[in-house]
Amino acid sequence: MTTSRALEQFLISVERRAFKIARLGLRNDDDALDAVQDAMMKLVQSYASRPAEEWPPLFYRILSNRVRDMQRRRTVRGRIMAWLPVRDGEDEEEYDPIAQAPSQDVTPARRLELDEAIGALETAISELPPRQQQAFLLRNFEGLDVSATASAMGCSEGSVKTHYFRALEALRGKLGEVF
Amino acid sequence: MTHESDNPTPFEKRTREVLEESTAKLDGRTLSRLTQARHAALARQATSARQWWRGWVPVGAAAAAAVLAVMFWVAPGRDAGSQLATTNGNGSALEDIDLLADGDAPDFVSDSEEVEFYEWASGEIES
Repeated sequence: MTTSRALEQFLISVERRAFKIARLGLRNDDDALDAVQDAMMKLVQSYASRPAEEWPPLFYRILSNRVRDMQRRRTVRGRIMAWLPVRDGEDEEEYDPIAQAPSQDVTPARRLELDEAIGALETAISELPPRQQQAFLLRNFEGLDVSATASAMGCSEGSVKTHYFRALEALRGKLGEVF
Repeated sequence: MTHESDNPTPFEKRTREVLEESTAKLDGRTLSRLTQARHAALARQATSARQWWRGWVPVGAAAAAAVLAVMFWVAPGRDAGSQLATTNGNGSALEDIDLLADGDAPDFVSDSEEVEFYEWASGEIES
């Protein structure tokens, strides 16, 4: 398989989860999409020649850095905007029913159940400290092993285990009844 | 690189299932933008792969300039141009060329009689 084809397969395999991970960190769809696109660009531009096994931790490390940068920038912007007068309707987007349509059909009851579970889990995850959130999403959601997660997070394997364990404990505490 | 979980608990399994469900529920706009992002990244890779040699152009130019500079700096009198610089101790080759190219200069070899005159004059000087 050519590098280009392998890269495409890799990006297809991670793009949805990457978006969800970025979305949980940034709480904004457009920012999350920008972060994912930047991470894809950077991976392809700088690390395409690296062995394919190294792509997952590299990609998630780039994505994590990008999300963190955007969070910092947003904090600074928020402080500046707090001093400026608010204009009503500035950030409102026109509602597009086609764009907002769910991609798969499920029964209304199942949809409701899923939406509740997803909402509860995403809220609980977004309330975790950033490192616990990262460890949980990379290990549990993305399925990276401890070593790759440590590489993606730029920390030791011991730290990954600690963050993951604490994240699980916190989530169990919040979601135990629902899950 | 991915781990097929070392005995995940039911809670871990359930959270993963729910998160996977959330990705299946992404709207059309998001999926479209993800596809566009992927294509943009891959297009950039294709472009940079085609133009890899362009990165070496400045390096090659700098190397060529360095070689020329070294040639002129280390051996300025050993090139073909400088061999013409002096044909005798009195003037440069460029002056000789100017003289020969001058339309008003005497025609030394056009007349055989003048050649004989110069041979005679040379013999007189030597004697």
